[in-house]
Amino acid sequence: MIKSIEEYLDLLKNELQGSDAATVQDALSDAEEHLRAALANLLEKQPERPEEEALNSVIEQYGSPAETASAYGEVERRTVPQLARANPSTESVIARFFGVYADARAWGALLYMLIAFVTGVFYFTWAVTGLSISLSFSIFIFGLPLALLFLLSVRGLALLEGRLVEALLGVRMPRRPLFTQQNLKWIDRLKELATDKHTWFSILYMFIQFILGIVYFVVSITIFSVSVSLIASPFLQEIMKQSSLMDQGLCCIVLAPTWSYPLLILGGFLLWTTFMNLARGIGQLHGRMAKGLLVTD
Amino acid sequence: MVDSLTVTKKFQKELNAGIASLVLLSVLEKSTEPMYGYQIAKLLEDYSGDASFMKQGALYPVLHSLENGGLLESKVEPSVSGPPRRYYEITAEGKETLVVWQGVWKQMKLFVDKAIKGA
Repeated sequence: MIKSIEEYLDLLKNELQGSDAATVQDALSDAEEHLRAALANLLEKQPERPEEEALNSVIEQYGSPAETASAYGEVERRTVPQLARANPSTESVIARFFGVYADARAWGALLYMLIAFVTGVFYFTWAVTGLSISLSFSIFIFGLPLALLFLLSVRGLALLEGRLVEALLGVRMPRRPLFTQQNLKWIDRLKELATDKHTWFSILYMFIQFILGIVYFVVSITIFSVSVSLIASPFLQEIMKQSSLMDQGLCCIVLAPTWSYPLLILGGFLLWTTFMNLARGIGQLHGRMAKGLLVTD
Repeated sequence: MVDSLTVTKKFQKELNAGIASLVLLSVLEKSTEPMYGYQIAKLLEDYSGDASFMKQGALYPVLHSLENGGLLESKVEPSVSGPPRRYYEITAEGKETLVVWQGVWKQMKLFVDKAIKGA
């Protein structure tokens, strides 16, 4: 006999050991939502029924922890995040290098690197403001609810960031909020959040994202500009040469001899292609870091 | 000797694997408003009567997988009692897919019936 929903969730967590951390988080949230709703419904209809017995009848319909874990395991095996689908790696190195343009993961990673600038600045501002307000007001009684709100917002942002990482980088992240006990007083909830390393890892991620976001943005924009300049320079030089400006002595200093035009275009193209490949790799590494910091064990 | 109950359970599980997606899509297509997991499970319980085809817990991973495939979308809303609930709704792509799946199911049903009857 399982005595409480918490016990069921613990057993389910044990059964799911070795599964993807994000799957575990989803499974626990689903089970908690369902069992609480079903139990409340059953007790409303049959108030005289002992709660433990009612819970076990609900579990009977929902499935034992082992059955539920196996259902998640099976569906997870069949479903992989959109961008994480197997990539044919049988192609030659050259084909893979240039095939980067057709790889959604590379474009996703590039887009992520640009977005990271905005999210990074926002996370940093939020974390610094939240931490300083919470700490400075903690000497007053109303400082504690503020701290609780801030820590809850960190959890929410971690979930949102996870969704972004899964959509753009193809790394499986939680799809449901983290399971929390419902009957806790707010002060206990605050204690739970403040002592959970997951909360502090999420805040750490928010700081790291700020630095990485800037680096990603600067590097992407710089390499993009240099590549486009290299590709465009022969065309621009030719156009400028023929322009009327030249006759007035305002133009043109010839920067590159004509024979170097193909080399410039090729150089620009190769530089951008290399960067796209690099972006794909960075995306994977960033995804792994996000998973390490934002998802609980 | 293999336990016949185990074999039947295994058969039922394999059968459910594909059908659950079809059933969930159909239920959400018929529904006029978004539904949460427990609501769907209750409705299916009413449909199945005394026979229980699958555990309610097995519905959730299928819902996730349908959502991941773009056939459903969901939003979390707070509830007055207990944790926030995730409400699921069918997407336009889901509706199109359901029409195709219903066709496949009809053909499959016909084929299986014929095979069983031997006609």
